[in-house]
Amino acid sequence: MKRICAATVVLAAVATLAACGSDSTTSTVGSATTRGTLVENPPLRIASLDAADFQAQLSASSAGAQLLQLTGPPACGVDFYYLKFWTVGGAGETTESSGALMVPTGSGAGCSGPRPMLLYAHGTQTNKLLNIADITNTSNTEGALIAAMFAAQGYIVVAPNYAGYDISTLGYHPFLNATQQSDEMIDILSAARTALPHTFAATTKDSGQLLVAGYSEGGHVAVATVKALEAAGQPVIAASGGSGPYALEAFGDAIMFGNVDIGSTEFAPLLTTSYQHEFGNIYSSTSDIYSSTYASGIDTLLPSATPIDTLFAQNKLPETALFDSTTPIVTVPNTIPNNVMLSAELTAALAEPAPTSSPEAPIFDLGFGNPYLINNDTRAAYAEDAALDPDGEDTPLTGMAASPALAPSSPSYPLRKAFYLNDMRSWYGSTLPGAPLLMCGGENDPTVFYPVNTGTMAAFWSAVPTVSTLDIDPAGGPSGPYAAIQGAFQTSEAQQLAYLQTAPGGGLSATAAAEQMIEGYHVAVDPFCALAARAFFTQVLAE
Amino acid sequence: MKRLAWTARALLPLALATAPSARADGADELPPPNTVRVGLYDIMYHVNARDLSGPYVPAGVGLDVQDVQTVYLAYVREFFYHLDLELALGVPPLTKTVGRGPATLGSVPYNGAIISSARWFAPSLVANYVFLSPEHALRPYIGVGINYTSFYDRDSTASGDAASGGPTRLSLSSSVGPVGTVGVTYRIDRRWSLYASYSFSEVQTNLIANTAGVIRTTHVSFGPDALIVAAGFSF
Repeated sequence: MKRICAATVVLAAVATLAACGSDSTTSTVGSATTRGTLVENPPLRIASLDAADFQAQLSASSAGAQLLQLTGPPACGVDFYYLKFWTVGGAGETTESSGALMVPTGSGAGCSGPRPMLLYAHGTQTNKLLNIADITNTSNTEGALIAAMFAAQGYIVVAPNYAGYDISTLGYHPFLNATQQSDEMIDILSAARTALPHTFAATTKDSGQLLVAGYSEGGHVAVATVKALEAAGQPVIAASGGSGPYALEAFGDAIMFGNVDIGSTEFAPLLTTSYQHEFGNIYSSTSDIYSSTYASGIDTLLPSATPIDTLFAQNKLPETALFDSTTPIVTVPNTIPNNVMLSAELTAALAEPAPTSSPEAPIFDLGFGNPYLINNDTRAAYAEDAALDPDGEDTPLTGMAASPALAPSSPSYPLRKAFYLNDMRSWYGSTLPGAPLLMCGGENDPTVFYPVNTGTMAAFWSAVPTVSTLDIDPAGGPSGPYAAIQGAFQTSEAQQLAYLQTAPGGGLSATAAAEQMIEGYHVAVDPFCALAARAFFTQVLAE
Repeated sequence: MKRLAWTARALLPLALATAPSARADGADELPPPNTVRVGLYDIMYHVNARDLSGPYVPAGVGLDVQDVQTVYLAYVREFFYHLDLELALGVPPLTKTVGRGPATLGSVPYNGAIISSARWFAPSLVANYVFLSPEHALRPYIGVGINYTSFYDRDSTASGDAASGGPTRLSLSSSVGPVGTVGVTYRIDRRWSLYASYSFSEVQTNLIANTAGVIRTTHVSFGPDALIVAAGFSF
């Protein structure tokens, strides 16, 4: 028996040996859900590209090759990290969000050590699955743009996907909610600063030089973020907004009076859902705003994992017909002076524009049809509110000289009031932008109108020395410090227009090619404004 | 890990309790019925792994496992002259997994890089039929049995972490599969013998890699075969 026990001891020793050791672990998962908390530390690095591989990857596609011509060859490699962090929703709900941390790498000068940090806000996406950190996804064009333009040139880039996208379970996107979106930007900045020392590129450090930029929706977010950061006493070195809908009240008025922008049927559900969550009074039922054709489910439609073209095909959303082609009849109550005349004027102002009434009229005209998205009652009520409490930019309506001022009192129509409260003209007085701010855009933008937004803000802040604007596509031709970029844009547009009329480009007619160029104009401006922003930042950082 | 130790302990009484020896009491010149063996395992894994699947993994990313050598330990109980039961163990070898697929993932080296390691605890219980009578010094045998494999000390290497995108926790499911063996014993004297055998088994496991909450998976089939040379002491 003793002998058997001896054998047992030997074998048990082996078994005991098997019980030794331990397994490797992964990132620490934070339990706190307080704003700005990084969920996984260190975060996942989705990809690591050295400068040569990044250049080769971009060069593999024609779009990437064109981008490289603008950005120049990468000076640094880039590590792409996927951040998950806690933030708040549009009604203050605790929610998880995600985004990108792009870290420059490599031995090149300016690729490691203390580096400036760029907080970037992307443009509107209808794709709920958007992950701007995923450089392996070829449809992530804005991620590639900011990586090539900034991270590969030595900037640490931080960019949220926004609540409502990717892993966020919020159920909606707080679109153009200045408070939420600036909060989220600040939260991902906090998470990124927590993550950076634990990345593979730990020698790349935050220099403390904070820059803020964004395009389209992100332009609005960028300006709102600078406002919030400066209010919180966090200094911003410089900021840039590209083609942003800053003057939301004036922009909303312009659209509701028939100047329908390209993309409006996508923006409208995002806006009303966002403001319904923020203010709770945009509608009692979606049919208060929307036509019966589209009202059902419109509040949960966007963003969506279903491609937008499929949603159009499924008749979940009209492609362009924002408004009813039948003109609404406005009846101003008789408690208002001159109500009969005002009713007639407003009814006329809401009519579908004649295609030849202005150069832009054919574009605006696309916004009318049947079936349509927004019902006539909404337009009539909105127009009446605008007439009684006009935005300074509502010159066609008021007949007064244009002024960049907001409506003199808070509007009473809930949707218009939501625009008013999220309009960047609420930023005035002692908290004017302290950081140098460049607002860039293209004056022919049919999606986010340049004159109504960038032009209005330029006039509103005309006395503020830190604010400057850049029209990337001036009618008078390139001039000034960004003339080379303006010239490059106009040359690129002309070349693309010509290309579309060649056999490889599709052999379009001149008219069809021009229409396609107009449809793509807003997106085409983006990389040129990014290039201008980089030049602007370089200049400010050098001072 | 304690559960694994318990498993090994549990197998021994099971084997012994069912062992009414059929040996002739007077056969003192024959080896005693209990034998422990110590030797060398040369293990070839023959990996067949599906490509890794999961977020941010390009197509064609696979893995392989390097062959190893380790110490062979076994306890053998003879039940009849022609039948014995072998509990085979090896000192759990540290096996290394190498990347197979593209040369790089992004700019991170992958193909051929050692991306992880794990120790295998893989006891086998084998019933051997031993040819010829016990008086023969040289006796061939064949056996069939069952193998249990469990993995521990699962580590993603620095190269593996770089390829995966961060510190990675690995999970490998345990496996139960058949094992077969052919071998020969050479009796030097009543207590000491030499052994040589070839065994093969089938091991299946599901690999789960967790990197910052992102899960990648694959299924790996091993057809490990092993050459064993060992010395045995009977008691």
